[in-house]
Amino acid sequence: MTRYLFLEEKLPLRLGSNISQLLSFSGPAVLTAIFIPILFFNNNELDISISNAYLWGGIGAIAVAYKTKNVYWTMGFGGILFVGVGVYF
Amino acid sequence: MRQSGKKYEASQPAKKHRAVMIRGATDMLPLSLAVLPFGVLFGSLAIQKGFTWLEGQLFSVIIFSGAVQLVTVELVAENTPFVALLFMALVVSSRHFLYGLRLRDRLSQQSVRWRIGLGFLMTDELFAFSNHRRSYASKYRLYYALGAGGSFYVAWNIWTALGIFAGVALPDLSNLGLDFAVAAVFIALVIPEVKTVPTLICVLASATSSLLFLFYGFEFGLIASAGIGMLCGYGMQRVRT
Repeated sequence: MTRYLFLEEKLPLRLGSNISQLLSFSGPAVLTAIFIPILFFNNNELDISISNAYLWGGIGAIAVAYKTKNVYWTMGFGGILFVGVGVYF
Repeated sequence: MRQSGKKYEASQPAKKHRAVMIRGATDMLPLSLAVLPFGVLFGSLAIQKGFTWLEGQLFSVIIFSGAVQLVTVELVAENTPFVALLFMALVVSSRHFLYGLRLRDRLSQQSVRWRIGLGFLMTDELFAFSNHRRSYASKYRLYYALGAGGSFYVAWNIWTALGIFAGVALPDLSNLGLDFAVAAVFIALVIPEVKTVPTLICVLASATSSLLFLFYGFEFGLIASAGIGMLCGYGMQRVRT
């Protein structure tokens, strides 16, 4: 539906620049609100201990994503850290 | 003679349409292969979160959007209220509104079948194919897009099926940090987008409020923190310009 809507010729609408500016933040805002809790919460409990593998993997993934901007390096390096820390503790 | 000539003329475009569709599919192949990990991740995540194989596959058949599918499965597993679920799906796919706007000039004169067909197939990947000045400008280019988008759809569904198979066959394996893989995908999607101060503010606000809301057990925390993030980013942009 969201994909089709604006391909309809009869639709007289033009998206205001304010709305489209607001929407341009939707991706980062939503995805952040989902991945941050995955890193910090385990079984509904806040876990900021040094043994939290999710947190370590996440920090690593963020660093690599910032450096390389590449999905596969991000997943690969983050994944290795995650598994490594998980095995160590 | 004339009859066979006519027949020849009639079959010629169809043949050519098939040829451009195949070319669209081959041009799309690198991208179709690139999403293999996500398709497999989604399939096995759906199984791990308690969906049946049919439900998992139908996600890809009907929704056909990686981010929305991952978000939905995560949220359903966390017993998110249905309204919140719909809203999140809408917000995550809201970039499709922007795609529709960009392609409106080119596609809005086409028949309903083309608009619905290509509209359904419009992914980030196919949109990346649409930057050519003359894309969708002729019948051939429409068929080319159909081949590219259609093959991507088929590939996505095959990868999903592979993931479902892996999830069913190796249930223990799926406990090994699929959640983390989802987080890593989202990190990889978000971080490269943080190019400006407003986006940074948006992400930080969303991150902080999501933690606070979860810590205090607020049911609509996810929507609220996404909204706060968007508003903070938008506000920052208004202040700076």
